[in-house]
Amino acid sequence: MTKLAIVSGGLREPSSTRLLADRITAAVEAALAGRNLTATASVIELRRVGRAIMDTMLTGFATSDLESVFETVADADGVIAVTPAFNASFSGLFKSFFDVLPEETLSEMPVLIAATGGTERHSLVLEHALRPMFSYLHAIVSPTGVYAATNDFGAQQRSVELSERIGKAAEDFARLLQACGPRTRRDVFTEELTDMERLLAGWQPRGAGDTVED
Amino acid sequence: MQFGIFSVGDVTADPTTGRTPTEAERIRATVEIAKKAEEVGLDVFATGEHHNPPFVPSSPTTLLGYVAAQTDRIILSTATTLITTNDPVKIAEDFSVLQNLSAGRVDLMLGRGNTGPVYPWFGQDIQAAIPLTVEHYGLLRRLWREEVVDWTGNYRTSLQGFTLAPRPLDGVPPFVWHGSIRTPEVAELAAYYGDGFFHNHIFWPPSHTKRMVQLYRQRFEHYGHGRADQAIVGLGGQVFMRPNSQDAVAEFRPYFDNAPVYGHGPSLEEFSAQTPLTVGSPQQVIDRTLGFRQYAGDYQRQLFLIDHAGLPLKTVLEQLDLLGEEVIPVLRKEFAVGRPEHVPDAPTHETLVKAAASSGADADTASVADTSEEHQP
Repeated sequence: MTKLAIVSGGLREPSSTRLLADRITAAVEAALAGRNLTATASVIELRRVGRAIMDTMLTGFATSDLESVFETVADADGVIAVTPAFNASFSGLFKSFFDVLPEETLSEMPVLIAATGGTERHSLVLEHALRPMFSYLHAIVSPTGVYAATNDFGAQQRSVELSERIGKAAEDFARLLQACGPRTRRDVFTEELTDMERLLAGWQPRGAGDTVED
Repeated sequence: MQFGIFSVGDVTADPTTGRTPTEAERIRATVEIAKKAEEVGLDVFATGEHHNPPFVPSSPTTLLGYVAAQTDRIILSTATTLITTNDPVKIAEDFSVLQNLSAGRVDLMLGRGNTGPVYPWFGQDIQAAIPLTVEHYGLLRRLWREEVVDWTGNYRTSLQGFTLAPRPLDGVPPFVWHGSIRTPEVAELAAYYGDGFFHNHIFWPPSHTKRMVQLYRQRFEHYGHGRADQAIVGLGGQVFMRPNSQDAVAEFRPYFDNAPVYGHGPSLEEFSAQTPLTVGSPQQVIDRTLGFRQYAGDYQRQLFLIDHAGLPLKTVLEQLDLLGEEVIPVLRKEFAVGRPEHVPDAPTHETLVKAAASSGADADTASVADTSEEHQP
């Protein structure tokens, strides 16, 4: 069972970003099925945790609702991340979510990136904004992203092209997910503790007067 | 169980009047607050340490020495003393003098500090904060415990034949707490040495506090200092009280809304639900505080933050009256109910001296061991 977490930064309802996210999810599920893999999908609409994201940025801790969202992402085997293109980049809300997501959550996480925009002129937002951010977060970013302009949802010819692009991205992502297999979560808390244990143990001979018995 | 207050020492405009106290006013107000804390029967006064505006306590032992001269009973402590950026030799000296002056009414809480630039200001590297903490604290312990110290480390000039003066009072170093919000390494350090662990508790949900305290307790037992429930735990807390809870909320709201740390974020009600902040009647504070035990276990020290965000001195002193008259007596009684015999109190100078005396033979052996170790490379 492949666990997919879908992060949608769409703001309106209905949202073309969410629409794209759903189509990609369906295509990924189909591509996985073609490889005899089943999948579950959990959708995270960032709008619903918008205030919680900002509060977390201001206070430094997450509300329990947002913590469960973090948990969904951390527990996934793969993430599909979709944002509207705002001012030549991802939306502020989308970036903010990844800014407050606990460190290393996306480490070695397969991620499919996607974006929506008013015109196709913004399509490089995938390569110039999303891909570098997820690379920085140590995710394994799938080579093919999906960009959909408003027109892609209309004219017959364009719509077929979008379906083909989604299909191609989904196929690549399914291959990546299969190759990566079930993801082993990093436990930073325990890692830090183990490092500290080692540090204290290594320290002891030097601090000769330090004994644990006093 | 010990009860007290801890002060950040911020100079913040009173949002209801727009007036900012001078630094001198803030420092003198802190002294009044500490004296009042003793007067109303609290056990501990702890000051923060900061090296940038808008904070005033850059020299905690100067402040605590002044308070020590005007008090008789209250324990003087810190929250926290920066073990990373202070020279451990200077920490040992300052607190040794304070301990001798105050007849042993001193302990201290070590922390790493969370203001990045403080590290370079004092010639240190924040990237090395954890190994720096381990090395500095290791040296601090030796300075207080060994007559003559030969020492070499990575972050400080070597010491050859160094003797701390003055020696700790009665040959017993001040008790050390380690303060942290979310760093498991600090809980591990406290557990390793069998020192106290203090969770700041005021900026995070109880679930995080629980996890950190549990970790410290388990590791305390792992390192052989006693059972997990015998570990020495302290918690922070943040309260604002008036006899009627509605009055408390109405009066505190502008201070909350504009507070430097959490202002302009979640509402007072949200923050109160998510963190231990309690704004209401003394009874509400009592009920909430007694609840801390459910996730931290029977613990040893409870400190409240009451003097921040621009609250005027008069209001803070009124808070202390309420704490002393209505809250602490009930908490003392209620926390004692069902507390197992084997759960110790927080060590004080008196109990540490007694413990050292009762293990006199061990102490002789230890000093022989110390002497031999001085000649190791």
